Amino acid sequence: MKANKMIISWSWREIWSGQLWPVMVALTLIIACVVALSTLALRVEKVMTNQGKTLLAADLVLRSTNPISPSLINQAEEAGLTVSTQSRFQTMAFSDTKMQLVTVKSVESTYPLRGVLNLRDETEQIKHQVNPNELWVSARLLSILEAKVGETVAIGDAELTISGVIIDEPELAYNPFNSIPNLFIHSSNLEGTGAIQLGSRVRHRLFINGEPTTLAAFQSNYELQAGERWVDQNSESRAARLMDKAKQYLSLTILMVILMAAVTLILTCLHYVRNRSETVSMLKSMGSSRAWLRSWLTTQVLIMFVVAFVVGSSLGLLLEYLLRIPLVDILPKVLPSVGIQPFLFAIGVSLCIGLPALLIPLMRLLDAPAINVIQKQTVQYSKKSWWLLLLPITALVVFYGSNKLVWMVLAGLLILFIVLAGLSYGLLTLLAKLKWSAALSLALSRISRSPKNSMMQLAALSGSLMLVSLIWLVKSDLLGDWQQTLSPDAPNVFSINISPEQRASYLQDIDSLTLPRSDAFAIIRGRVTEINDIQTTDMAVYESAETRILRREVNFTWMDQLPEYNEVVAGQWSGEKTVSVEQNIADELGLKLGDKLTFEVNSQSFSATINSFRAVEWQSLKPNFVFIFSEDAIADLPATWMVSFRAEENQTDRVTQLARSYPTVTLLDLRTMANKIQSLLRQISWSLTGLATLGVMAGILLIFTLLRLSLNERKREITLYRTLGASKKRISHTLWAEYGLLGLSAGIVAAIAAEMILFALMRWGFELPAQLHPAMWFLLPLLAVLIVFASLSSVIKALLKPLR
Amino acid sequence: MSQSIISVENVTKSVISNDNQLSILKGISFNIMEGESIAIMGTSGAGKSTLMGLLAGLDQPTSGSITLLDSTISSMDDEQRAKIRSESIGFVFQNFLLIPSLTALQNVTLPMLLRGNEDQKNNELKAKALLEKVGLSGRETHLPTQLSGGEQQRVALARAFVTQPKILFADEPTGNLDQQTAQNIIELLFAMNTEQGTTLVLITHDAELAKRCQRTLIINDGQCQESV
Ligand SMILES: Nc1ncnc2c1ncn2[C@@H]1O[C@H](COP(=O)(O)OP(=O)(O)OP(=O)(O)O)[C@@H](O)[C@H]1O
Ligand SMILES: [Mg+2]
Repeated sequence: MKANKMIISWSWREIWSGQLWPVMVALTLIIACVVALSTLALRVEKVMTNQGKTLLAADLVLRSTNPISPSLINQAEEAGLTVSTQSRFQTMAFSDTKMQLVTVKSVESTYPLRGVLNLRDETEQIKHQVNPNELWVSARLLSILEAKVGETVAIGDAELTISGVIIDEPELAYNPFNSIPNLFIHSSNLEGTGAIQLGSRVRHRLFINGEPTTLAAFQSNYELQAGERWVDQNSESRAARLMDKAKQYLSLTILMVILMAAVTLILTCLHYVRNRSETVSMLKSMGSSRAWLRSWLTTQVLIMFVVAFVVGSSLGLLLEYLLRIPLVDILPKVLPSVGIQPFLFAIGVSLCIGLPALLIPLMRLLDAPAINVIQKQTVQYSKKSWWLLLLPITALVVFYGSNKLVWMVLAGLLILFIVLAGLSYGLLTLLAKLKWSAALSLALSRISRSPKNSMMQLAALSGSLMLVSLIWLVKSDLLGDWQQTLSPDAPNVFSINISPEQRASYLQDIDSLTLPRSDAFAIIRGRVTEINDIQTTDMAVYESAETRILRREVNFTWMDQLPEYNEVVAGQWSGEKTVSVEQNIADELGLKLGDKLTFEVNSQSFSATINSFRAVEWQSLKPNFVFIFSEDAIADLPATWMVSFRAEENQTDRVTQLARSYPTVTLLDLRTMANKIQSLLRQISWSLTGLATLGVMAGILLIFTLLRLSLNERKREITLYRTLGASKKRISHTLWAEYGLLGLSAGIVAAIAAEMILFALMRWGFELPAQLHPAMWFLLPLLAVLIVFASLSSVIKALLKPLR
Repeated sequence: MSQSIISVENVTKSVISNDNQLSILKGISFNIMEGESIAIMGTSGAGKSTLMGLLAGLDQPTSGSITLLDSTISSMDDEQRAKIRSESIGFVFQNFLLIPSLTALQNVTLPMLLRGNEDQKNNELKAKALLEKVGLSGRETHLPTQLSGGEQQRVALARAFVTQPKILFADEPTGNLDQQTAQNIIELLFAMNTEQGTTLVLITHDAELAKRCQRTLIINDGQCQESV
């Protein structure tokens, strides 16, 4: 038994002295990444399916911008279906001291048809339904309003007593920016809030439960009206799509990390084999059998896997926690446990990569002949173990077979690798043509003497440098773009739902409070029904996934003059019954100047001719519209009004005053929202930084390994130079020059490549404005040279050690 | 009358080197008796190490047969020869060839481990005793890099004798050492050899050293001669 202990401690030492440790670190990185990502993905998926119907609060839901017609409800009940209705809108809630924009859900006592509603009243009892005159608020709202259960809160025009706190509710939305708290009232109290008026934005839902066949029949018999749509478990929510995008970005980053780690692994193993074949020959000469050698190597592999698994899993869980922080508001407090699946998955992935990467070179090691202890032989290695390569290939095909993106990335990387090799080599040959000091020209000639080797090294070096900078810059560009939305003098409070009667006095009140404000804009909600007299529902673009504008209601407005922050890119603002259209939408719909558009507002139809196209910056937080009409086109339609103004941190009392005098006007106070966004951004940046750090670590590890290995290969040659009497100084100068040049040119090439790829990624991948990163042009070569020198100084002592 | 422990019959060895066939050994025959000590001499490049590799079963002859301890190793496969080596053969090399990641003590216990002798406590006791005999007590936990050349060769001696092999092969064991140290090692080698009654095959350039062996074989132009 004690013999095993010795073999284990020997293997442990072999891992460190044989420089197998990068293999362990690479495996650890792979496992950490896989555990983190799959845990997170599984959690989110589980939350989604767990809540499936709960999320909808019924088997089937009809969403509408108009109140649900009583005849439809009758029809459904006659068909034997259970129904319940809900209206929801946003309005201001006031306690004695505070106010807050809230989402009001007005429901019937039958709500919800699926899922649980847990409401805790004053006596700590749990109720499951909302009754007339009750008001249930979320715990967060309670604390924002600084109110207690039993106190009175004003919801628009209505005054209601808080009945208790919402503990669990169905219909949770997965939208990280949805920071508006919820409350429930009974539908009999809806009228009293005064929120329902012409033009105000109330959304209605009809919840339906019943036999699947009856449901299906009902659904197919009903003809959807404008502004209505069905939602069932299968309809993909926008949040889910968003989540998918995020997951794709994460997967891509992680794929890169895994790729770099895999390369590190393979290189280290190959080096190990070269280094240890002598040891194996010795063991063989002493009579060790293949079986014994196999178990000796297996012990080492096992130790590395076990250590990597333990450390990697813990790191992965930590990373998952970091990635989860920004989602904390939207994930339930008690997370579903994910079991051992992510760990099994991580083991699977690491075996897929690790087994061929480790075993192919290690099996070769077994072929090292015993006679090598006496006379070095060239060995014919058996190619038997190459079948192991099928492992990662099969896995790739099975998991990513249909994922074009992954194959494109892999192919792209391969091409890039070749291009980078060529580029860096070209750069070096160019340099070699110039005149240099002795050390430098010696170094240059060394590099060009073994072009294949140098090119491989250069490509790997610049490739990994590029990946590192990509991972980092994509992260900071994304964050930078989000940050930009919050400019310092932009309006930060929006008042919407101002009735025409309130408008004049409301504007006057803002002015008398000396708050700088924008003009007031009329808001009329309607939809586009015809383009040049052709029904939009008959057009192909109506069904298009990207162009949603035809299927939903949009805000219209009219103006005398176009706002100066909208640049007119075609046509001009003039003419009767005309409309100006935002240019991207115009492109998507294929509109031309002079086209006739027909619109519908409250089933009233009217037309206008396009007189101009405008460029609009949607992120700017200024009031912006897709369609701006001339006054004569829509001014007589019923409208509500909106105005935006800026309030500083210390002017909250003025905002409060305004809100109290006009309780039905909805205030979107972006000051709190901005803080919220800011903190969310901070959290997101934390998690992305965590991820990017992993990527950078993988990259630097790879570069470090590469250099150390390449330097170690030199050992014999350097020893020879030393024996022939070259001075230490001479040798180290040449080495510094050679590797410095290597790092420098790899850094320059990496910077150029990263800039190009980043441009493409931003422009076409994330659809953000691309920018240059001049700092990187200097930092990347500098980083490269630094890493090179760090690796060099870590081995140079050993390299120059005098012979014994 | 003692028994023949190694018998070599008409052994040739040729290798392909740069597309040319190179005949190193061109038909060699001799016998070595149990307990004998025999020196192999010859100019550099004569094929001494090659011959030793064949005798020890590290390599296969091109033709001819080699019988070692009643087994015809020239017709055995790798694994079978390895088994014979682990059971009956010890080596000492010119460049010591210790395992760099093992301590002196562990290097000495290794052959016992390879033999399948897993009682590590007992192994270590044996190894310690041998290390003491070669004058290295107190250095058990040192790694080869922490030992001088002479010290490394003494560890190698301890390693070679720890399994009480029937035959010990030594390929220029003192080639890399200074005179004084070399003398020291040689004394140890012969002392332990007599003590254990091992058959000794010693490759050397040193005629003085060869004289201490009972017989001397001289390799020349691929042939071998017994020097008398
Ligand atoms: N695998 C091989 N390929 C090519 N040539 C070989 C091979 N093995 C041995 N030789 C050659 O055979 C000859 C004999 O080599 P060997 O090592 O046996 O000589 P040696 O007598 O031990 O010499 P030294 O005293 O220098 O150690 C040498 O010329 C060597 O180069
Ligand atoms: Mg030799």
